[in-house]
Amino acid sequence: MAEQAEDQEQDVSNGAATEPVMDAPGGGAPAPAEPEETSENDEATISAGGKSVEIGNFRVFLDLRMPEFDMGHCKAYSADNLRRDEGSAFALVTDPVLPTRHDHMTFLTGMHMAGQIDLIDYETAYWPPFGRKTMVLFYEKPAGGRVLAKQTKKLPIDEHDIATVVVEPLMNAMQAFGEKGLAHRNIRADNLFFADPMHEKVVLGDCASAPPGYDQPAVYETASRMGADPAGRGSGSIADDFYALGMTLAELGIGRQPLKKLNDQEILELKLSKGSFQAIASLEKLPLVLIEPVRGLLCDDPEERWGLAELNAWLDGRRTKPVQSNTEKRAARSQNLAGRDYYTCRSLAQGIAKNWSTALAPLRDSTVEIWLRRGLGDNDRAKALSEAMRQLQWAGADKRSAEDVLVARSILILDPTGPVRFKGFASMVDGLGFMLSYDVQHGRGPQRFADVIVRDIPSFWFSRQEGYSPEVQRQQQLYKNLRYYIQQQSAGYGYERCLYATVRNQHCLSPMVEEEYVVEIADLLPALEKAAETASEESWPVDRHIAAFIATRLEDDVEGQLMAMQNPSDEVEYSRAIISMLAIVQWRHGPDNLQNLSHWVARLMEPAIKVFHSKARRERVETEIPKLAKRGNLVELYNLINDEQERRKDQSEFVEAVAEYSEAESEVFDLESSGPARMELAEKVGQQAAAFASTMIALLTVSALFLMHIF
Amino acid sequence: MAKGKSSASKGKGKGGRSAFSGLSVIASAVLLFMVALPTFITLTVGLLPSLVAFIFDRSPGRTMARCVFGLNFSGVAPYILEIWMQPAQTVSGATQAVFQPLALSIMYGAAGLGWLLYLAMPPIVANVLNLSAQRRVSELRKKQRGLIKTWGDSLIKEVDRSGN
Repeated sequence: MAEQAEDQEQDVSNGAATEPVMDAPGGGAPAPAEPEETSENDEATISAGGKSVEIGNFRVFLDLRMPEFDMGHCKAYSADNLRRDEGSAFALVTDPVLPTRHDHMTFLTGMHMAGQIDLIDYETAYWPPFGRKTMVLFYEKPAGGRVLAKQTKKLPIDEHDIATVVVEPLMNAMQAFGEKGLAHRNIRADNLFFADPMHEKVVLGDCASAPPGYDQPAVYETASRMGADPAGRGSGSIADDFYALGMTLAELGIGRQPLKKLNDQEILELKLSKGSFQAIASLEKLPLVLIEPVRGLLCDDPEERWGLAELNAWLDGRRTKPVQSNTEKRAARSQNLAGRDYYTCRSLAQGIAKNWSTALAPLRDSTVEIWLRRGLGDNDRAKALSEAMRQLQWAGADKRSAEDVLVARSILILDPTGPVRFKGFASMVDGLGFMLSYDVQHGRGPQRFADVIVRDIPSFWFSRQEGYSPEVQRQQQLYKNLRYYIQQQSAGYGYERCLYATVRNQHCLSPMVEEEYVVEIADLLPALEKAAETASEESWPVDRHIAAFIATRLEDDVEGQLMAMQNPSDEVEYSRAIISMLAIVQWRHGPDNLQNLSHWVARLMEPAIKVFHSKARRERVETEIPKLAKRGNLVELYNLINDEQERRKDQSEFVEAVAEYSEAESEVFDLESSGPARMELAEKVGQQAAAFASTMIALLTVSALFLMHIF
Repeated sequence: MAKGKSSASKGKGKGGRSAFSGLSVIASAVLLFMVALPTFITLTVGLLPSLVAFIFDRSPGRTMARCVFGLNFSGVAPYILEIWMQPAQTVSGATQAVFQPLALSIMYGAAGLGWLLYLAMPPIVANVLNLSAQRRVSELRKKQRGLIKTWGDSLIKEVDRSGN
């Protein structure tokens, strides 16, 4: 037990495990051990080759790195726009094992917005250094370069100019995002670029290449979202962007990242104990002119936090209402857990999450409940905790699981705005999908996510939210679907469906097409066509990932096909369902000619041919299949085995034949088993016939005698 | 109850009919004895095997007795006709004609043939019925083979499944 507890603690407190790998091109490898070395090797190879690749309307030069435009974990390369002479572009190569943000890419593509770097286009393309396909974003090169250049220690912007150079354009960008119901979630000082050579305005860098908040240093995240793993920090709202803007202003004012000397855990504890602004102000020297906006923007209460109106007032030189620096209630006495004293609910929640096994005892013996009542005077939370404990008593045989649920619920009672935390898993509810994607693609597997959903922890999170929020309602609806999906075991459901349902830009993770980076359903069949060249004869072209991907991305309802796939032992229905799904995808999205895939499907159509009972029909279908496969049309192949009229005719004729056969069989049985009865009948009939014949002979004799005497 | 009553009345009716026919035979015999004694003697002696058969055959319908009687009567009929053709029918004439060995052989031989017919007919009918059944079985088997040829093994499987 002690060992398990130690392991658990080690697991959850190992910050390295959850740190984003910022400088490693994923290349499909889960969390590379030596990212720097790999990167250098790649670059060396590329430089020696001096190659370029054509991607869409751009030519990207692999040997012309542009580190000044690297954004987060993504690397920038020089690129030429082949369609346009003016302007200059660069390519930002995303990590293929991290999902990109679909809504942001579609919103920003081709749009010019003050305060945001211009996203010209994006393409999925083969990237030689990774040896696989990935997403490449093409940005317009900002004319003034990066705001925080690594070489210089001088403040890039005068503190008095920050309002016009930074705040105004960023407000514009945030407003545009806000109007679309989106949050940038990548606002930080090192993601700012000067839009012009005169350094008069800045633009925000990329926000679409990674999960929201993934590239943000922890200090840029609110105390609520800091507790989550980087991939699970969630989409957030404009309020989170304002918080990040406050931290950006602080960094620009100080000239370096605030609280850089502290590790993430220390920053979080400091923020929880003092409040975000006090945490910065107590350890860093903020310029006087920035104190007011930084205080307002770093307010820990999102309701109190500055928004566009307050920032506009500040820009106009008007005074705004003062905000409370820390709204977190501090207890009169501490609650000790694993040798540490905690004074606030949220810090205790974080402590429980980090000491999962040892936290159970003070929860079970009501120490925490008493602390809430007497130390903090928070009867509501104490009551909720007592209710959670009462539910533990109703737990059935799986006591261990019920105890885990109690700990997870206790954390949510203590910190209802924080992430869902469960045995080392920590993700905001709006970041569950990205967290799952990260876990699956970095070797952790889907188990942690599945545990959270199966134990219904997010439901408790929803129940702890106060007031009405349409966003929370939307998430709740989405969560209901996730729970349904994860409870289903068959292909097309499970964690795979959750993954594609929650992350719109998640590429299909089927081993058959993973390296092809299939994000759009239209790209699935071409990828399968390629996979068909090397596919083994026994394998099916649709696995769990592809089924879930099609079910999520296809506009048509394929629930019928998924139902049929629930039973792989019924080969006929299983193969028909698979062929049907692929045929629908081809019918909807093309391409028209899929010869390899058609031949693959044709090989697997043998069970589907059994749908016909008539040998003649089967032979006809068997001779037709190679001809249609040659044409590469899955729809025709499907129609061949799914001719409803022909099938119905075949079925009714078959039923008739079965009846006829059975009838004949029973008649034969009757004939063969009725020997004694027939003998009995024969005797009876024979005797009657003999009597009749005898009588007739007598009559004939008498008649003949009479006639002879008469004539 | 009603059914029992009706079957009792049926039995009674049948017994009544049989008693009536028995009585009518006796009445006819008595009448014949009184009116035409030579004919009576010829019939009594000639139809002796039929009489015995009627006495011993207790099977429903008395098919054996009917068989024997039919051919036995065919054998007796010429002698009756011969008596009737004589100008004066006398008992001695009738007795003389009846008790001749040839006449007895014909009359009793014909009764024997009737009995043989009774014995031979059932096996013949049984053979006919068996042959017809065999032909029907082979026809049905041929039809089944045709169905299997058209529908394959799935037909057998389906039949087995529906049978189970």
